[in-house]
Amino acid sequence: MIRIENLVKRYGDILALDHFNLEVKEGEIFGLLGPNGSGKTTAINCMLALLKYDRGSIQIMGQDMAPDNYEVKRQIGIVMQDVAVFEELSVHDNIDYFCSLYVKDKNRRKQLVEEAIRFVGLEDYRKIYPKKLSGGLLRRLNIACGIAHKPRLIILDEPTVAVDPQSRNKILEGICELNRQGSTIIYTSHYMEEVEQICTRIAIMDHGRSIAVGTKEELKSMIKTGETVTIEAVILGVDDLADIRNLPHVFDVKYEDQRLVVRCIGAKHNLIHILGCLQEKDIPFGRVFSELPTLNDVFLEITGKQLRD
Amino acid sequence: MWNLIKYSFLAKIRDFSLVFWPLVFPLALTTAMYFSIGQMDESDFEIIPVAVVSHNTEDEELFQKYLTTVEENDNALIDVRSMTEEEAAAALKKGDIDGIFYDGEEPSLTVGGSGLPQSILQMILESYTEGKQTLEDVAALHPERMEAAVSQMSDYGPVTEEVSLGGRTTNTTAQFFYAMIGMACLYGCFIGYRSAMDLQANLSALAARRCASPVHRMGWILSETTVSFSLHFINMLILLAYMKYILRLELTSAYVEMLPAVIIGSMIGVTMGMFITSIGKMGEGVKIGIMIGVSMVMSFLAGLMNADVKNAVDRNVPLLNRINPAALISDALYCLNVYDAPERYMQDIVILSVMCVLLLTGTFLIVRRERYGSI
Repeated sequence: MIRIENLVKRYGDILALDHFNLEVKEGEIFGLLGPNGSGKTTAINCMLALLKYDRGSIQIMGQDMAPDNYEVKRQIGIVMQDVAVFEELSVHDNIDYFCSLYVKDKNRRKQLVEEAIRFVGLEDYRKIYPKKLSGGLLRRLNIACGIAHKPRLIILDEPTVAVDPQSRNKILEGICELNRQGSTIIYTSHYMEEVEQICTRIAIMDHGRSIAVGTKEELKSMIKTGETVTIEAVILGVDDLADIRNLPHVFDVKYEDQRLVVRCIGAKHNLIHILGCLQEKDIPFGRVFSELPTLNDVFLEITGKQLRD
Repeated sequence: MWNLIKYSFLAKIRDFSLVFWPLVFPLALTTAMYFSIGQMDESDFEIIPVAVVSHNTEDEELFQKYLTTVEENDNALIDVRSMTEEEAAAALKKGDIDGIFYDGEEPSLTVGGSGLPQSILQMILESYTEGKQTLEDVAALHPERMEAAVSQMSDYGPVTEEVSLGGRTTNTTAQFFYAMIGMACLYGCFIGYRSAMDLQANLSALAARRCASPVHRMGWILSETTVSFSLHFINMLILLAYMKYILRLELTSAYVEMLPAVIIGSMIGVTMGMFITSIGKMGEGVKIGIMIGVSMVMSFLAGLMNADVKNAVDRNVPLLNRINPAALISDALYCLNVYDAPERYMQDIVILSVMCVLLLTGTFLIVRRERYGSI
C-alpha cells in the first residue's frame, strides 16, 4: 500500500526526516509511534504530497505520490492533528462538503454522509456548529470529514489529542471498525497504549528515523526487559540491594524513596525470587507490582529516554 | 465546483470578521460621517437671527430693502428682526441673535462673538457698502430687479453654496464619501485574508486537508476568488444602496457608471488581502495588522479623515496618489460625479486595472503552489 524509501526532509539546519523508510501492507493498522518532534507529521505531510522533501521516494498504491496524482488522492482519507473543519458550517454541511471533494454523485454522497454521521455518533448534532461541540465531539467530526468517502487508505494524525476517555474509546473502536470494513490505516500517536491497543504493526520513530518496526510482540522481544517488578514501602541497605542484583535474571535495580524497581529478562518466577529474598532477610514491604514490558520500555532501551521526554 | 462555491460562500458570510470589516464597519463609518460631516452644511448654515435697529433716516429704506431681499432669497441666510437698541442689545447678550445691524447713512454691525454666522453678517454688510451706489441706481430705475442686483453683488455665495464644475452633485462633503467607498473597497482584504488561509496548506489545517483532496489546484483558486470577488462586490453594492436609498446622499447621478471603479476596487482589496496573507512567515496578527495599516494609510491619503490631505498629496507628491488605489477610486468617482471629466476617470480606471492585474498575477504565482517547504 505504501512504500517510502530513504526519505530526507530538512527544515534549514534541522533534519526532520533522516533516510526514513516505511512499508505498509494493505489491510494493516499501522502505528507510527514517537515523541513529539520525531517526524511523524512531517512524514505524513510528505506522503500527502503537501511537503517538499530533499531526497527519497514515496509510492502509494503502486504509484509515485505527487500533488497532481488525483487518482491516488481520491482513495486517501486524512484526519489532521489539528481539527480542520469550517467553524461556520454545521456538522452535516462540513461532512457533506469534504465528502463532495471526493464523491460527485449527489445521492451516493447523501448516503455516505449519513453513514459517517452514524459512524461517529453525531446523529443528534447534525445542525450544530463546531464551536458548540465539546472537544471529543469535535474530534469525531474531524474524523467523519476524513472518512465519509470510504477511502482505501486512512491516515490519522494523532486524532485523540485532548479527548476525553469516552470519546477516545469510541474513536479507537471506530478505527478498528474502519479497518474491518477494508481500509488500511496509518495511525500516528505518542500515546503508546493506544498504539498497542489497535495497531497490527508499529514503527517507532525518533529524530526522523524509524528505529524499530514490527508487531508489538516483535518489538518487545527486541529488548532485554521481560518483566519489571516494583515494590513500594521497602527499606533496604546496600547489602540488600547487592543481593537482589545478584538474583537470577535481574539486570537492573533502582531504589529511590523506599521504592524498588527491578528489571529482569523474560523468565518464570522472577517475582517469587525477589519476594523470597526479602522474606529471607525479614524485610517488610508494601504494595507489589509486576509488569510486562511496554513500548515505552522498548523506546527506553533503544534510545535511552522515555517516549514522553 | 458548485458545492465548493456554495459552501465557501456560506462559510464566508457566516464569518463575523468577514461581515464586520468589509461591510458593517464601512456602513457604520458612513453613518457616523453622515451625521457629523454630512450634515455640516445644514448645521453650519442655519439661518442667522439678526436684529436691525432703525434710525429713521432716508438711507435706511434702501438698507432695509437690501436686508429683506437677502432674507427672502431662496438660499436665505438671515432672519431679520426689527428691534429697539435696548431690545437688540439684550437679545444679543442672551444669544437670541448673532448680531445687530444699525442702519443709517453708513450702516454698521455689532456682533456678540466670532464664528461663521458673524463672518457672514460682516460679508452681507460689506456687500451692501461696496454696492450701495449701484443699489441706489437700481432701486430708482428698476426696482423690480432689486433682487437680482442683490444676488449679483453678494459675494457670500461661495461660502454657503458650492456648485460642481460639471454641474452635477453639489454636495460639498462628497469627497469624504468617495474616500469612504475607496476604503470599503480596500477592506475586501479581510475576505482575501480568509481565502488565502483556506487555500494555502502552510497557513491552516483546513487548507491542508483541502489540498490533500483530489480537487485540481486551479479549481480551488477559481472557486475561492470567484466567491471572494462576488461577496465583496455585493458588500459594495449594499454600501452604495445604503448611501443612495437610506441616507439619500446626493453623491452622484451616475451610480451605474461608478460600478467599474467599484468592481476593480473590490478586486484590488480582496487580492491585496490574499497577497499579504500568502507572503512571508509572519504571524496572523502581524498580517492582519499590515492589512489594516495599509488600508487605513491609503484611505487617509485619499482624504478619508480630511479632504485637505488628499489635496496636499496631490499638490506635493502627485505620484503617491496615482499609485494609491483608495485615492484612485476616490478620484475616479470624483471625476465622474463632480468634475465630469471622463478622460481622467478612464485614466484612473486604467491605472486601477493595471494594479489589479499585477496584484492578481503576483498572488496567483504564490497560491498556485501545491507543495510547501514547511507546514
